[in-house]
Amino acid sequence: MFPGATTGREAASYVVVGAPLDATTTFQPGTRFGPDRVRRFAETYDDYDRRTDSRFSALGVHDDGDVRPWDDVPAYLDHLAAELRSVVYDDAVPLLLGGEHTVTYAGVDAVDPDILVVADAHLDLREAYDGNPWSHACVTRRCLDDLGVDRAVIVGARTGSEAEWNRAADADVEIVAPEDAREWLDALDSEDAFGDDSVYCSIDIDALDPAYAPGTGTMEPFGLEPRGVRDLVRAVAPRADGFDVVEVNDRDDGQAAAVAGKLLREFAHSHADATATASDGDRPDGSE
Amino acid sequence: MPREQKQVRELQEGSYVMMDDAPCKINHYSTAKPGKHGSAKARVEGKGVFDDKKRSLSQPVDAKVWVPIIERKQGQVVNVNDDEVQVMDLDTYDTFTMRIPEGEDFTSDDNIEYLDYEGQRKIIG
Repeated sequence: MFPGATTGREAASYVVVGAPLDATTTFQPGTRFGPDRVRRFAETYDDYDRRTDSRFSALGVHDDGDVRPWDDVPAYLDHLAAELRSVVYDDAVPLLLGGEHTVTYAGVDAVDPDILVVADAHLDLREAYDGNPWSHACVTRRCLDDLGVDRAVIVGARTGSEAEWNRAADADVEIVAPEDAREWLDALDSEDAFGDDSVYCSIDIDALDPAYAPGTGTMEPFGLEPRGVRDLVRAVAPRADGFDVVEVNDRDDGQAAAVAGKLLREFAHSHADATATASDGDRPDGSE
Repeated sequence: MPREQKQVRELQEGSYVMMDDAPCKINHYSTAKPGKHGSAKARVEGKGVFDDKKRSLSQPVDAKVWVPIIERKQGQVVNVNDDEVQVMDLDTYDTFTMRIPEGEDFTSDDNIEYLDYEGQRKIIG
């Protein structure tokens, strides 16, 4: 169980679901251990969050355990999406723990957002990788082309194939390079960048510089700093209807899992704080 | 009670099942492959036939669930009143009032089809 996720399923406002898919990792495997590793390295965190003056265990989080994967990736994603849709039906927010990035497809399928905000070192805009359209290197492309996401914002992207960069030039994709992430975040604060559109927030842990999160499958240097990703999650969470953190494996001393667990908590605290504010009739963006 | 028991594995998309005591039409059915020591579990998604509320259930495929027996009946429009319509059943000649579905338009003497389950009724066209 994710530490502090003590609320029953019926009463929960947030439901943690583990999706330890490890089918298409291309370099260092181990995402099958990701969800439990994140849970384990979140054990030391204080329940109390000073910034929002709230306790994680009082936010109404339930841990629904893992949806065990099997070989047939499309069938697994279909079932995982059904599990996550049941969370949405219950008016709760799904918090997905990967697993390789492919599982984001199921989260987006369940939440059906207009905008996908993803922190990622890689563009993940391939049509297929090694002939496989369900590779983790294709997930953002699948969400845009197959699930009808209107716009993808890829923050921290710094590598991709030539064809991916060409796809990224289309109007439905916005790339924010690591060195531009702070400026993009500051602009988010000053303007309502998402309007009335619904948002899904996906964090591929390799968006961070591998110096901070080496426990991931395909490390890519010159990445984001942890505080930048934290601020992204804090900024996006109030407008998001779903969240995932993916691509954590067991090939480090827990650095990647520690950051991932903290980001999940940051999302829940920020979302709950904004929801409470909104129900008081004073949304952070000033809208009704 | 107009309902029967079935195993979860017998359900399929397009058929009916009771969820939270409400008759629902199944719009998605998926099963998780069992682990070495587990039994396959099905996730069934549906929408309330009479309240349009989305619901979901997760059960082992050999679990028993209730399936409502929803009757499809014929009626004739007697009178139209704002968003409601008075209908006479063409078999029993009972008359009753039903809400007009959004986007539909009826006049007197129109023949309609409706679903009936334990006194809950819904026009389907």
